[in-house]
Amino acid sequence: MISLAGVVTASALLIALAGCAADAPVSVDSTPVAGGTLTYATGFGEPTCLDPHVGGNMPQALVGTNVLESLFSQDESGAIVPWLASGATVSEDGLTVDVALNEGISFTDGTPFDADAVVANITHMKDPNTASSTAILALGKVTSVEAVDPLTARFTLSEPDSALQESLAQTWLAMESPAGLARGMDANCEAPIGTGPFVFSEWVKQDHVTLTRNEAYNSAPAGAAHSGPAYLDTIEWRFIPDTATRFAALQSGQVDVIDEMQPDNVVAAASSDQFDVLTGALPGASIRLELNSGYAPFDDERVRKAFIASADVNPGIESLFFGTVDRSYSVLSTSTPYGASFEDDYAIDTDKANTLLDEAGWTSRDSDGTRMKDGERLVVDFPISTNQSIPAEQSLFEQIQATTKEVGFDVELHPLDLSSWYAALGSWDFDVTSAIYTKNSPDVLRILYHSDNIIPAPSGYHPNNAHVSIPELDALLTEAGETSDAAVREKDYAAAQKLLADGAYVLPLYDHLQKIGYSTTVQGLTLLPTLQIPYFGDTWVQG
Amino acid sequence: MAGRVGVRVLGGVFVLWAAATLTFFGLRLIPGDPAQAILGGPGSQASAEALAAVRAEYGLDQSIWVQYVQYLGRLITGDLGSSYSLRMPVAEVIGAQIGGTLLLAALSLAVAWAIALGLATWSTRGGRVAGAVASGLEIVAAAVPHFWLATVLVLVFSTTLRWLPAVSTPGPAGLVLPVVTLALPLAGFLGQVMRESVLDALASPFVVSARARGETESGVRWRHVLRHGALPGIALSGWAFGWLISGAVVVETIFARPGLGRTLLNAVQLRDVPLVIGVVLVVALGYVLMTVLTDAASRLADPRLAQPGATGRRVADPVLTPSGGSR
Repeated sequence: MISLAGVVTASALLIALAGCAADAPVSVDSTPVAGGTLTYATGFGEPTCLDPHVGGNMPQALVGTNVLESLFSQDESGAIVPWLASGATVSEDGLTVDVALNEGISFTDGTPFDADAVVANITHMKDPNTASSTAILALGKVTSVEAVDPLTARFTLSEPDSALQESLAQTWLAMESPAGLARGMDANCEAPIGTGPFVFSEWVKQDHVTLTRNEAYNSAPAGAAHSGPAYLDTIEWRFIPDTATRFAALQSGQVDVIDEMQPDNVVAAASSDQFDVLTGALPGASIRLELNSGYAPFDDERVRKAFIASADVNPGIESLFFGTVDRSYSVLSTSTPYGASFEDDYAIDTDKANTLLDEAGWTSRDSDGTRMKDGERLVVDFPISTNQSIPAEQSLFEQIQATTKEVGFDVELHPLDLSSWYAALGSWDFDVTSAIYTKNSPDVLRILYHSDNIIPAPSGYHPNNAHVSIPELDALLTEAGETSDAAVREKDYAAAQKLLADGAYVLPLYDHLQKIGYSTTVQGLTLLPTLQIPYFGDTWVQG
Repeated sequence: MAGRVGVRVLGGVFVLWAAATLTFFGLRLIPGDPAQAILGGPGSQASAEALAAVRAEYGLDQSIWVQYVQYLGRLITGDLGSSYSLRMPVAEVIGAQIGGTLLLAALSLAVAWAIALGLATWSTRGGRVAGAVASGLEIVAAAVPHFWLATVLVLVFSTTLRWLPAVSTPGPAGLVLPVVTLALPLAGFLGQVMRESVLDALASPFVVSARARGETESGVRWRHVLRHGALPGIALSGWAFGWLISGAVVVETIFARPGLGRTLLNAVQLRDVPLVIGVVLVVALGYVLMTVLTDAASRLADPRLAQPGATGRRVADPVLTPSGGSR
């Protein structure tokens, strides 16, 4: 027979023990531990070339940032901070920029980092045979670069460029070993050589890239928690295209860090004590609908305004994204300076939409309720890139389809793979679309809405998908892109965004979020503000 | 005999030519520019010079018919060309990826056979209820799409129970979920045809006479009925190979497993024409070889097929319906 007293004592003991366990810190040791492997699973896809000068997309920047470093970095406010360069001096006329380089840095093949290396890199990016798209566009105003002395690289420009240092902070314009570049494109694509905390040591195509620690690392960006070599021995960079598998791999401990999380996974991970979520708004444009104003029916401002007044997106954002994103009323991302919000221009008003459509001549309706004008139905072609729009976003587009139907639009959604989608955009074969544009500068507005960028590149690509052509806007964007006066930039960008909102060319939806999920055993993980890319120079894994 | 082999070889060559031709023109009909695949993927802002240089280098500035003839010419000499997106010879890419896919397909086929045979044997012994249960299971299994089954298996066995890895690993544990995903629906198809054929065989005169000779129940089943039951399964296995490869596209993507299926998907999305055709040719070749193999296996299982003058198709029919009215 067990005595009652015994049971009570035992219970008290258990409760006390439980109390102790709960009170103890969740064993977070703030002392970094050197060694270990971290497995990162990306959903952004596998680069076809690890050298981000070639082409220049997000998968390359993600895996490359911890190997290939840039001249500058940015802090959380978007301000330029030193990295491989300590600063820049801009001449009075804005046409000469002297970049001062830090001393004592070497590429991991032993080649010294100096002004000659900068010249070799910029020459490589501008060489047509490199087939750069992002870097060459960012260097559009740079006519030449020369080494004034070993630690000074002089950039000569055709026009002043207020975004030059921001451009140089992007991984797509990272510095690579000139000796590595000289190996030729195939060898350099396999394993470009940088100055970063890690080195590309192996690439098993369609499986993983292995990064190993650079023992001689001494060039951490401003804002890093420590200088000197990284803590991790290796990073295994895996390509896991399926979002559900990626999250399951994190949950089952197969991988330590994942990106491209879906909203429901973000909520599940954030509410668990085993996982944490790191989010950051990608700089550049917000995620937004671009209305093709160059062709019917959206060449009529009234029809554009009717579409925006009837496209009710807020309920969809609330129900489909589980509170993981906030509605945006700005064409610029919240992480990009000079963003301006115009909430009133995007208010829902069905009566106004109906009136506008009546005024525009879309007066009769067919049996489906779609408005008609001169025998034409009010059809809105909406190609969707399934690579860029996550499932929740595609559902949101369906809700937009439903709410605009009430006033008589027939929105036809066409989910397309990336090549077909770009082909549709290139031939202006769309009325509305959603296109991502990541750039760490408000100068993104010039790229997206200057009338010059209606003209397609030789590949057919044109960034100005809304077909915006307003001389006043062009002048504002050009001036803002050239001036180094912050007050003028602010005034110009505000006026430019007001013109876009008034003309109903764009419907902002929300920020494009980088959503990184990680196990709580991973410590010291941060996002580099420039492109919101994970930085592993300060990261360690608890045993 | 030599004539038959000749016809087979010619048929195989025709299949390969047709596969290469359809793929070649199919890829040109869908939107997207192969020159972009070479210059950093869709949406690149490559310069006019770079595009012109690439088009000239790869012959993309020629008319499509010239390109087609040149491509066929290279294929005949055994040159599969170079992948635009991976910057490697196509033969090398396929060599690196084919092992994983063949292992996956072979294991899935074996597991599907085991399940189908087990189900057919059990259900034909267990009376009406067992037959109905088996039939229901088979229909459900055959109807389940790979992507759904894979996601459910991951949720149950990786996320919840933590028994098996979600992402395929090199070891045997990493193969379990991909193999089960491919094998279950296939077992449904195989099981349906085999069970019917076993039932037919059990009711046929030769079983009655075997029993009359004093053959034991297991002897009847293993020596006589199984052979008959397996015949349509063997015939289906050639088709199953192609079906498994198409399933591998989904399964390799979901379980992040390297292989031909994932290679093919990426290549199509990037409009990497040489790589797509290379993979399609290899799969078509595998399909041709599997057809020959299943033909040979049918002959082993059914000695009547090996008799002079017999051709596979004509004799297979009476075997499938030995006693139509008995059920």
